[in-house]
Formats: sequence, structure tokens, C-alpha cells
Amino acid sequence: MGLFTDFYNTVAKFFRPQEEHTEGEPSKSVATNRLKLVLMQDRTNLTPKVLEQMRGEMIELLSKYLEMDKDMLELNFEQEGDQVALMLSIPVIRAKDEEEIEAAKNSVEEDNDENIEEDEADEEAEIEDSSEEEPMPKKRHSKKVTPPEDVAGNDEEHHEEQEVFENVES
Amino acid sequence: MAGRVIVITSGKGGVGKTTTSANIGTALAKEGYKVVLIDTDLGLRNLDLLLGLENRIVYTIVDVIEERCKLKQALVKDKKNPNLQLLAAAQTRDKSAVNAEQLKEICDTLKEKNDFVLVDCPAGIEQGFQNAVAGASEAIVVTTPEMSAIRDADRIIGLLNAKEEIESTKLLLNRVRPNLIKNKEMMSVDEVAEILEIPLVGIIPEDTGIITSTNKGDPIVNDDKALAGQAYRNVAQRILGEEVAFLDLDEPKGIVAKIKNVFAKLREKV
Repeated sequence: MGLFTDFYNTVAKFFRPQEEHTEGEPSKSVATNRLKLVLMQDRTNLTPKVLEQMRGEMIELLSKYLEMDKDMLELNFEQEGDQVALMLSIPVIRAKDEEEIEAAKNSVEEDNDENIEEDEADEEAEIEDSSEEEPMPKKRHSKKVTPPEDVAGNDEEHHEEQEVFENVES
Repeated sequence: MAGRVIVITSGKGGVGKTTTSANIGTALAKEGYKVVLIDTDLGLRNLDLLLGLENRIVYTIVDVIEERCKLKQALVKDKKNPNLQLLAAAQTRDKSAVNAEQLKEICDTLKEKNDFVLVDCPAGIEQGFQNAVAGASEAIVVTTPEMSAIRDADRIIGLLNAKEEIESTKLLLNRVRPNLIKNKEMMSVDEVAEILEIPLVGIIPEDTGIITSTNKGDPIVNDDKALAGQAYRNVAQRILGEEVAFLDLDEPKGIVAKIKNVFAKLREKV
């Protein structure tokens, strides 16, 4: 009779295929994804709160170099033997050019410590004098050689995956 | 008036305690009652998964007991129904992190501001069971129509009867397969109820919809079309004191079954 129930369910599905499709992702995949995340939390003792924090800090760090779709950021952990791999997937809109990166860096440094910023500026000036080179135009030049469009494509989003391995004692 | 504290227990694992807790809790909340679900299965928590709340848990029952947070902070509101709240079990601790007195205190506090406190009990008859039962005055024993589950249920009923605080113990028969019963391959509802000698509060048919609802973290009572969902909504009505007839599971429901029925009747005429 188990066979009959299975058969009935298969037949019944034919009568409501619309419903199955409109639900989008099959519930099996939903379950697999939810389970993976929960198991990772159990195995590594990372709470949702810590994960959220990690996610936030990672976005902050990567935003210095990349313009990305932050809402689409996916943070997954995958078990590979006795190791857990952290899979980070973010749709990249474009890579920032060096000027922007430099600007972001400077603004952060200004926020953090203005004195250090000044000291560094002095040091840079000294280097400039001794080597008789102008660092700023050189940087602009290197930017022209590899414009961001060539790095990341125009409007196409690229998924960049980054792996960090972490030993988990079981 | 103080709310009711009901423990959901079974003895044997895997008979549907947690599914039952999630569904009865959701059904009562849908009726407008304020409900708190407590997962007391320390180290093996799952109620959060069935409710789809696994990513919202910050504090657990152990955090409350060890005073790392206030009780209110540890209550996680359900996504769909703000009347329903979950107090999650700690996943990294074992049963010894909590004692019966502490759990009773939590139940007593929660019942002051809620209509129902449902305690999802771990499998077994040891400390975890003793803890879960401590604050309750009513019990629902979940079993399936299988020998091992019925035997364990009987043991649990004996233990519950020995407890003065438990005023009522009712039976919920889960995963009933009418086809098997019809073919006399499964014990009937009446037979199980007769053996265990306690009143029935629900008969839940085996329903493949339970698998998909668990996958999604959305209790089946939220599915108006599902038979098991209807059965659980009926359980909630009975808990509320309504007289609701048990579902007639023998009625052929699907198209195939109906066609089969027509053929059977034709054959009778010939």
C-alpha cells in the first residue's frame, strides 16, 4: 500500500503542477541550504550573531576595493573531509580604481588618526625628495594601464569566490 | 488568569514530538492565543528548524538560567505570527545544564503573560524528561501505531500518572496510515487508545506534506489544504475545549482513490 500512496502522490502532482512551479525553489533545496548553515553553526560554534558580524566586517573590507551587490552576498561553509571551507560569493559590479581605493584609505586613516596621517605624508615627501620621483603621477599612469573596466567587465556581474580554510577539531 | 503549561512527550524518539509542538503552538497562535514554545532538548535542538527560526536565535534557555540575558530577550517571535514565541534550547550544552526547578520557574513566569506554554520534551525518561515535565500541569503523549512507540508511550504515561502536578494526560496518535489499517497491517486508532487507556486528543494521518513543510520551516497547519494540517488544527480546537469529530480517514480523498472506489462499486453490482 506504500506503493499505492507513492503512486497516488505522483498522479496527484500531475493535477497541480502549476502550484509546484510557482513556489520557486524546490523545498528540498531550501532544506539542504538551511541544514548546511545550521550544521556549520553547530560544528564551528559560530552563532548567527557572530556570522552577521563577520559578514558586516567582510563587506566593509571588500568595499574598499570592489563595488558589489551587498544584498546578494552569500556566506556558506562547506565540509571537505575534516576541514570546513568558507565560501564567500559576492556579485561584483566593478573593481574600484586605485584613486578610489586610495581615497577610501585616506578617509579611514583621517578618521582614525590624523597625526599618523601627517607623519606618513612627511615620510612620503622625504622619499619623493631622495628618489627624485613623483609618486602621484606614476600611480595615475598605472591606473590608465589597467582601467577597472578591463578588470571586471562593464556591467556584467562577476561572482568572485574566496576560500578560507579553517581547521575544525572534531 | 494564568495560562496553561502543556508538556509534549513520547518516550521514544522520532515519533513527531517536535512537529506536534510546532503545529499545535502555531495553530493556537493562529486562533489568537499567546503561545510560548520551549525547546528543552538541550544539545539536540530542532524546534527552531521546524519553525524556520534557526537564524534568529541569539539567546537560549541556558543563557536565561545562567543569567546572561533576561527571559524576554531570549524569546524569538515567529515570522508569521507575533502571538507565537520560541524559547530555544542550547545546542552546545547537555541536559545537566538545567534542572527541574529552574525549568519550573521559567514556565511559571511565562504562564503569567501567555495563554499557553508548550514544552517540547526530549526523548527518553531521564533528566531531560524530568525537567520538561516539572512546570507542566497537562501532558500530551505522542505515539505512532507501532509496537515500540506504544510500549515507550505506556512507560511515559506511567511516569506521568505518578506525578501529582500532571492533571491530565492525553494521547496524540501520529503518522496513521488508513490504508494499512484497512488491510489490517497496522493497529487501528481504537486499538492503540484501548491499550494505552488515556483519552485521545488527536489523530494525525501520515502526510508527505510534513516533509515539505519541515524543509521550508513552515508548520503544516499553515497549509489550509493539507490533511495533517487540518488534523492539527482540530487538536488545537480540542485543547481549547471544543468538541471536534476526528477526521474520517477512510473516506477516499484523491482522484485515483475515488476512481478505484467507483470500480469497486461497479464490481459489486456485477
